[in-house]
Amino acid sequence: MLRVLLIDDTPRKVGRLRAALMEAGFEVIEESGLTIDLPERVEAIRPDVVLIDTDSPGRDVMEQVVMVSRDQPRPIVMFTDDDNPDAMRKAIRAGVSAYIVEGIQAQRLKPILDVAMARFESDQAIRAQLQARDQQLIERKRIELAKGMLMKMKSCNEEDAYTLMRRQAMSRQQKLIQVAEQIIAMNELLDR
Amino acid sequence: MTHPNTPPRPDLLAWVAGSDAPEKRVVNLGFMALTDAASLIVAATQGFAQPYGLTLNLQRQTSWSNIRDKLIKGELDAAHGLYGLIYAVHLGIGGSAPIDMAVLMGLAQNGQSINLSSALKTSGVTDPEALSRCVRQSGAKLVLAQTFPTGTHALWLYYWLAAYGIHPLKDVRTLVVPPSQMVAHLRAGRIDGFCAGEPWGAQAIREDMGFTLATSQSIWPDHPEKVLGCTRAFVEQYPNTARALVMAILEASRFIDESQENRRSTAQLIAGSHYVDAPVAAIEPRFLGQYEDGLGRAWQDEHPLRFFGNGEVNMPYHSDGLWFMTQLRRWGLLREDPDYLAVAQKVQQTSLYRDAATALNIAVPDSVMRSAVLMDGSRWDGSDPAVYARSFALDGLTETAALSEPS
Repeated sequence: MLRVLLIDDTPRKVGRLRAALMEAGFEVIEESGLTIDLPERVEAIRPDVVLIDTDSPGRDVMEQVVMVSRDQPRPIVMFTDDDNPDAMRKAIRAGVSAYIVEGIQAQRLKPILDVAMARFESDQAIRAQLQARDQQLIERKRIELAKGMLMKMKSCNEEDAYTLMRRQAMSRQQKLIQVAEQIIAMNELLDR
Repeated sequence: MTHPNTPPRPDLLAWVAGSDAPEKRVVNLGFMALTDAASLIVAATQGFAQPYGLTLNLQRQTSWSNIRDKLIKGELDAAHGLYGLIYAVHLGIGGSAPIDMAVLMGLAQNGQSINLSSALKTSGVTDPEALSRCVRQSGAKLVLAQTFPTGTHALWLYYWLAAYGIHPLKDVRTLVVPPSQMVAHLRAGRIDGFCAGEPWGAQAIREDMGFTLATSQSIWPDHPEKVLGCTRAFVEQYPNTARALVMAILEASRFIDESQENRRSTAQLIAGSHYVDAPVAAIEPRFLGQYEDGLGRAWQDEHPLRFFGNGEVNMPYHSDGLWFMTQLRRWGLLREDPDYLAVAQKVQQTSLYRDAATALNIAVPDSVMRSAVLMDGSRWDGSDPAVYARSFALDGLTETAALSEPS
């Protein structure tokens, strides 16, 4: 069963929403007030989805939760009684996985949360891909830099420099990037 | 009212580069702790993939079954694979429903070995004739291990035994043991011998637990060995990633075979605890073609493990795939003749390989078939596989081979 953490810390009544979630087959854990404990609660409860009021002061705390639990992020879904599409769009662009308007019927909740989770997963995958791309670019640049330094030091051509670096890396059971960093560090030391 | 559906998003990665950019940038790449995984390890760690915008996530696996399961589940995108394993999944051998598979390229040729225990050595069983006599005399059947029911090692072992008149399904008992556990099984006396990749044969000799009776290259010089395998769905969904992956590994393969010094440092790299996790001394000699059989014979092998051979190793020849199907048929693992040629054409990704090799100025053979003469004098050239499968004196065509459960 999917576990929903419902953060209920605004005057708005969530009674109907909770009932609708339970009717839709979710395990609902409700938290009220104690936003200060939120990160620990999220850690302890490990919900599949976090539902939070757009007006909740706890939203800033959730930001922190998102930062802290970056390794195991969870989709965050907003609920509100404001059905302004523009506000929804903005929230979703800001990283919220879905937007629920209070007063919704139970049978419509599950598809929304399903979509929210699927969307969240694909967002995570894209983020990971972008991160990998950045990492590749950084590594490539560092390797290029080290190669240039080595070509100068050994007055050799590009291919020979790569081969030297790779042999060094392999015979020490290291990655090429590690040897590149060592060459850059050594070069900086000698230049000083 | 609600708006669960968000406005369509442009693909965040579409702008990164032209249409050749890999669709998937992080590739989860499975391998087994064997020296013939070297090109994968070198490609992933020595900066061969970054220029293509790929990050290769190496993931060592404990068994071939694990590799198969994770490829199917998508936890691995591509892996160090056994021909027999890829084709068995594709053809649905072993009870599971067939899943379309793909061989992207060859990773290595040669370099496997058949080894027997020190106990057999002590009792004088040190050549094929003595083994043949021993098999006929002794009451209890000898237990010989291989690495996967439909795997290449099973097929090399069967081929070799049968060439000396020993029926692998009747005269001995065969079972499956993961390659890195072979030496421990020899020590415990649970097996009398095994066929596996290196360094496990060399390690058995080093630990005085056994000796090498035959190399796989003595069965078929420059035989196809490991391949880069994945599901067909992966190639179809991520064609650019698949091509970039082949290019990165091709370049790593070329680098390894380029010089003796590169080979030596490759041996040092793969000995690491994250990779093969075995002493350099067990890996390096055979990696350089220097063989010692544990009986006092030493030689420089003419067909040692190789990764590139100017692209000869890497071309996914249809005839290589066909050969493994003929052997699966020969031993009854395939109960009927498949549509050999159609299956090989589907599995062997020759056109993707051709694109990758051409982009790197690596020679691509004109023909998708190659020919060879095997140890028993039989010639294989890819023609008439159904007839070839029936052409052997010993086979398992009439009985149903027992499929032992992989460990």
